[in-house]
Amino acid sequence: MRSPWRWLLSVTFIASIPQAQASGWNMPVGVTDISRDIYGLHMTIFWVCVVIGVIVFGVMFYSLFRYRHSKGAKAAHFHEHTSVEVLWTAIPVVILIGMAVPATATLKNMYDTSQADLDIMITGQQWRWRYEYLGEDVAFTSNMSTPWEQIRGEEPRGEHYLLDVDEPLVLPINRKVRFLMTSDDVIHSWWVPELAVKQDTIPGFINENWVQINEPGIYRGQCAELCGVNHAFMPVVVHAVEEDEFEVWLAERKEAAEQEAMGIDREWELAELMERGEAVYRAICSSCHQPEGQGAPPAFPALANNEQLISDLDWHIDLVVNGVSGTAMPAFRSTLNPVEIAAVVTFTRNSWGNDTGDAVQPSTISGWIAQ
Amino acid sequence: MWSAIKSVLAALIGVQSDQQRRTDFSSGKPVVFIVVAIGVACIFVIMLAALASMAAR
Repeated sequence: MRSPWRWLLSVTFIASIPQAQASGWNMPVGVTDISRDIYGLHMTIFWVCVVIGVIVFGVMFYSLFRYRHSKGAKAAHFHEHTSVEVLWTAIPVVILIGMAVPATATLKNMYDTSQADLDIMITGQQWRWRYEYLGEDVAFTSNMSTPWEQIRGEEPRGEHYLLDVDEPLVLPINRKVRFLMTSDDVIHSWWVPELAVKQDTIPGFINENWVQINEPGIYRGQCAELCGVNHAFMPVVVHAVEEDEFEVWLAERKEAAEQEAMGIDREWELAELMERGEAVYRAICSSCHQPEGQGAPPAFPALANNEQLISDLDWHIDLVVNGVSGTAMPAFRSTLNPVEIAAVVTFTRNSWGNDTGDAVQPSTISGWIAQ
Repeated sequence: MWSAIKSVLAALIGVQSDQQRRTDFSSGKPVVFIVVAIGVACIFVIMLAALASMAAR
C-alpha cells in the first residue's frame, strides 16, 4: 500500500508505540506490515474519537454550567436551523469517509492472498490444530503441552500456561505465507494477535488469510471461537525463523516423514509401540480420557478396565480409526498416521490393568484404513 | 419537480425545513415524490456499487 494513507498510518503508528508498549492495555503492534497498519488505524480512529468526545462533551458541560437555571437562563424556543443541521450531518460524513478510506485500503491488503511463497492448510479439530505444508509432504498435529498437573493445580503454573504446544507451526520470515483454513468438526478460530490473524475455521468451508512476518520470534495465540469443553486447551504457537533455518527444518521434517512411512511395513516390538503410544496418548487422548485412562463418563468413557476394549480388538481399532458418530470421539484416520494409531491402540490395551499383551502392527492399521 | 427533488434529497440526509415541508404537503403530489424517491434511491445504490467496485480494483 503506497499512498498518503500509509504515511498517515505510519505517523500514527510511530507516535503511539510508547503508549502501547508501556501500558500493556492496548492491542499489540505486531510483527507484520498488516498488523502495524491495523494498529495505526486503531490509534487514528481512537484519537479521532477522543477529539470528538472532548469537543462534544466540552460544549455540553460548558452549556450546562454557563446557562444553568439558577443563573436565570431561559430556554430558546426555535423549531429548526437548517444550516446547523446540514453542518452536523456533513461533518460526521466527512470524518467517516476520512476513516473509511485508509480502513478500506488496509482491508484490501489483508484480503490479497495472491502470489504466496508458501501455502499451509490449517485444520481445526477438537482440540488441536493440524498443519499441512502443501506441496512439501510435511504435516503434523499441534497439541497443547501444558502438563495436566498444572491444570489441576497440583503444580505451579508455568510461564506460558495453556499457551505451549508440542509441535509449533514453523514459518519463514520475509516470505508471504498463505493459510487455507478449515475445520473437521465444529467452528474454531485461529488467532495470533502479534500476526493480526484471527480467522474462523468452518467445517465444509475454506477461508484464506496470509502473513509475512518481519521479525523472528515465538508468537502465541489461542482458539478464539468457543468450540467445546476443551476450547481453552488448543493454543497456537508460531515459530518465525530465518529463511535458511526454515529450509533446514523443512528438510528434516521431510526426512522424518519418509522414515515414518518406512516404519509402516516393519514389525514393531511391544516395548517400542508402548513408548510411542504413551507419547501419542498424552498428546492426543488424555485431555478427554484423562491421564490414567479413568475417563470422564458419560461423555468420555474410561479406558482402564474397559471390558469391551479389552475383549474386542477389531472394535477398538475401528473406534480409533473411524471415530464414533454422534459422540465426541473423532476419526483419527487423517490426524494420526498408521504407526501412531497402532502405538496408541497398543498402549491403551496394555496400560492401567489392561494387560492384553497385544502388539498391534502399523501394517494392520494401514490395511484397516484402506478398507 | 425541482422542489420534489430537493425534498427527497433533504429526506435522504434527514434535514428538512418546516416551510418546505408545509409547501410539499399543500401543493405536492404523492406520486411525484414516490417516483423521484425511487429514482434517487437507485442512483444512490448505483453510486455505492461503483464506489465499491472502484475500491476493489
